[in-house]
Amino acid sequence: MASILRQLTRTIRSPIVQNRVVASSNGLRFKTTAPAEPKEETRPTVRKFDPAQREQLKDFGQYVAECMPKYVQKVQLTAGDELEVLIAPDGIVPILQFLKDHHNCQFTNLTDIAGMDVPSRQFRFEIIYNMLSVRFNSRIRVKTYTDELTPIDSCNDVYKAANWYEREIWDMYGVFFANHPDLRRILTDYGFEGHPFRRDFPLTGYVEVRYDDEKKRVVIEPLELAQEFRKFELAAPWEQFPNFRNAPAASEEIPIKDEEK
Amino acid sequence: MAQQAVKTLRQVKPLLSLDQGQARSRVLNLYKAWYRQLPYIVHKYDIPKSIGDCKNKLREEFLKHKDLTDVRVIDMLVIKGQMELKETVNIWKQKGHIMTFFKDTEEPKPTDFLSKFLTNTN
Repeated sequence: MASILRQLTRTIRSPIVQNRVVASSNGLRFKTTAPAEPKEETRPTVRKFDPAQREQLKDFGQYVAECMPKYVQKVQLTAGDELEVLIAPDGIVPILQFLKDHHNCQFTNLTDIAGMDVPSRQFRFEIIYNMLSVRFNSRIRVKTYTDELTPIDSCNDVYKAANWYEREIWDMYGVFFANHPDLRRILTDYGFEGHPFRRDFPLTGYVEVRYDDEKKRVVIEPLELAQEFRKFELAAPWEQFPNFRNAPAASEEIPIKDEEK
Repeated sequence: MAQQAVKTLRQVKPLLSLDQGQARSRVLNLYKAWYRQLPYIVHKYDIPKSIGDCKNKLREEFLKHKDLTDVRVIDMLVIKGQMELKETVNIWKQKGHIMTFFKDTEEPKPTDFLSKFLTNTN
């Protein structure tokens, strides 16, 4: 009985196996048509990417750019297989609404909002939204920019999760979110001055806190160090990672179609 | 010359106020709100200061920024002052935070030669 069953399953399974072979050969054919594929990575310590997934992400990035041409400025793949959409700050609410509600996106989960400070730029802060689509098991990152005095629209109406994340950005970087229902500090102490994640904020801070036995309370005083903060020269004269001299760039741009003018 | 003018004139997104007048009225409103809360603050936090001291301190804090002309900078300070007021009135702060404004534990820095010499600073 068991042997009959085994035979049966074998015969049932075989066409599926054949199908798989066909599918993979299809993939191979696509590969040959792609322009100048770099040679296959064989080193065991280097991460390999799924070319089909990369292709999908590229297509999806172009699709987003075509759907929202007014706001999307650039689409790129970073670290090999992470899709990033770089947008103008005015478009943050429409883009997030689109990515959340469009049938082919459904990024219903706002995983995190991060900030970044690059003082040399005209708009020194980057605000980075990480989203997850549970439906399609994929992630996307939306980046925008601002400076100290330019308000950014709060996306609290799109994602309720943004409430505390935006408070955190406000507290750490001092970026003002317009139309936020409850914008106040979240991590720093009351009475704290400055925004700790800005690059011009000193590592030691401006004040120190101690208990004063005469006053019977905690006092806050400006910090004075006996020695200046030292900067060490850490660059070595020899090359650090010669194996990665020809490493691929961290991000590669995905071409988006220009609008017809 | 013309290029410079183009460079300095940049269209920006307003924070709250659209012109100087609006910014001014916001500042005055904030000042009044603080002023009216001062007696309650002194009473609730039980700080060793009179209401008059607090009024002087409030005036001093506002006059620190009297030379500002950029509407957005003024707005940002008003927003922060508003948040500060809320933290104070709701007693989220503690006595130490309020007393920080008066700086009563800070020793003034030595200015003349002898006191600098005695405190071993230069």
